[in-house]
Amino acid sequence: MSSATPLEQAASASLANRERNVQSKRGPWRDAMRRLVKNRMAMVGLGMIVLFGIAAIFGEMLAPYDPIRQDLMAAKQTPNAEHWLGTDELGRDMFSRILTGARTALLVATFVTFIAAGIGTVIGLISAYGGGFIDTAMMRLADLLLAFPAFLLAAFINATLRSPVANQMQRLADFTGLDFLAGKLFIDFFLIFGSLAIISWSGYARLIRGQVLSLREQEFVEAARSMGASTRTILFKHILPNSFAPIVVAVSVNFGNAILAESALSYLGVGIQPPTPSWGQMINQNLSQWRYFPHLVLGPGAALALLILAFNFFGDGVADALNPRRTSRN
Amino acid sequence: MLPFILRRILTFIPVLVLLAFLTFILSYYGPGDPLRVMMGENWADEAAYQQLRHSYGLDRPLLVQFIDYCRDMLRGDFGRSYIQRVEVSELLWKAIPVSAQLALMAIIIVAVVGIGLGIISALFRNQWPDIAIGTVGVLLHSIPPFVLAPIVLVALVLKLGIISTPSGWHGFFSYQTVIAASCLAAYPLLAIIRQTRAGVGDVLSQDYVRTARAKGVSEYGVIMRHVLRNAMAPVATSLGLTFGALLGGAIFIESAFNIPGMGTLFFTGLRNTDYPLLTGATMVSGFWIMFSSILVDVIYGILDPRVRTGK
Repeated sequence: MSSATPLEQAASASLANRERNVQSKRGPWRDAMRRLVKNRMAMVGLGMIVLFGIAAIFGEMLAPYDPIRQDLMAAKQTPNAEHWLGTDELGRDMFSRILTGARTALLVATFVTFIAAGIGTVIGLISAYGGGFIDTAMMRLADLLLAFPAFLLAAFINATLRSPVANQMQRLADFTGLDFLAGKLFIDFFLIFGSLAIISWSGYARLIRGQVLSLREQEFVEAARSMGASTRTILFKHILPNSFAPIVVAVSVNFGNAILAESALSYLGVGIQPPTPSWGQMINQNLSQWRYFPHLVLGPGAALALLILAFNFFGDGVADALNPRRTSRN
Repeated sequence: MLPFILRRILTFIPVLVLLAFLTFILSYYGPGDPLRVMMGENWADEAAYQQLRHSYGLDRPLLVQFIDYCRDMLRGDFGRSYIQRVEVSELLWKAIPVSAQLALMAIIIVAVVGIGLGIISALFRNQWPDIAIGTVGVLLHSIPPFVLAPIVLVALVLKLGIISTPSGWHGFFSYQTVIAASCLAAYPLLAIIRQTRAGVGDVLSQDYVRTARAKGVSEYGVIMRHVLRNAMAPVATSLGLTFGALLGGAIFIESAFNIPGMGTLFFTGLRNTDYPLLTGATMVSGFWIMFSSILVDVIYGILDPRVRTGK
């Protein structure tokens, strides 16, 4: 390494120069990306998320056993060579169940986060641009939600609305001929997406409203307006792109919360119903036996905690990268 | 101060009415029919069913039932539990003090540990203690309460053998309470650490801190007298809001540690689809959040007199 010929040095210098030229294509997003990649914790988190993502997509193929097949002959095994993480009281392979449970967790997290962000963004925009009565009404509603025992309400909704929703879905399925609408899994997901989105849109709405109200007074928006740009152009070309960063931060931070909420609902028995594997539900099923088979609780618990941890690390990284002045680590 | 508190209470009335209406309407249109469950083997006996329906007042119009329900609630009457067949208010009155004490212990732990670690983090900004504290905070924040509780139980009961399986309520100062409260405190700890760290960090760079140091005040005196007092207002707010949210985590911690509090009530209510119990528990948690939010405003008002005037 030490003895580089002058030619090599020149070559590497010019290479570095070229790199610097490439790097000179800078922008706030590029800079943020560079900061994110440099953040070791965020990258560890991203790596774990990718692993869980692979489990979510290919879990059924990778799983050594059918996650819902019961084998009473092999029930209640401690971890061994055949069943890496043991089996539960119905003889189902825990490793396979945990692997396929990743799909439920990530699916719910993705949908809930984007539905809540979507609803919140639309309401925030309407609120800020509508002003007056609409604004007051919307923000009052958001205030109300903040003062609510939100998680309890979500659990309540899930506990009470399951059979009315199932009835309506059955009717809808008969009417449209789309059988999947009345499927148990679809109803589970529909209820969870709905209840969790209902309790979590208000944060996004406030965020967007605040962004719009402050951006609207900026010179570049005034300039656009003075040039005769329509409200729609101003909104979608100028204001939304500029308020995108805080939305991205909120979305990435809220992923972990959505996973936690789903598993908590399933743990309480009002979320994903058996036999679809869900970590929260698995923990609850085995909790009564924590004394005798602690691994049955700790396995899905560890998977859940690791995924939430990964999203928290990654979310913090995204927040730091997009807002270098944020105080989580600087 | 009193008009300020009254005004805050007034703003909460619509929230509580809406919450009452939501819980009411949800259990009205809810699934299944708890009366049929209650009748057990005789579920098909139509005459007995109608009589039971009448005795619980379930055959009257919706709005009448709701107004009645609100009026009863104001009197502290939440109806009778479908499953346990006792007055819900009786169950609630037994559970509220337990949960309140547990939450109080948890908030003390959050405050002491969180503020302490936050100060250390701020003093060692970007050095290893700060990074270690931040990482541990995120870790504790990432473990769901229903995972943390069994982990703690396995560790303390099975591996270390320090305690036996906890059950029941042993009073505020018992080790069972401290252990359960610590589990409850794990999740909100991160927010308090970060807020203290940010607040202390901001204040440390103020001129008056430099002045205090320049005139020879000890580092301890600077932190205690000049920094903390000025950095604490937002932390106090967070602590109050955390107190309001603790009931959510209590569902899991109390049921895992067999503590007969609000969380356990909600848990069993959910398991048995016991609507009077569920609505009662939800309404109480609404009051709980209202109470802690008003408490926050009062504390804030004391710390920062500008808030009191409402401007």
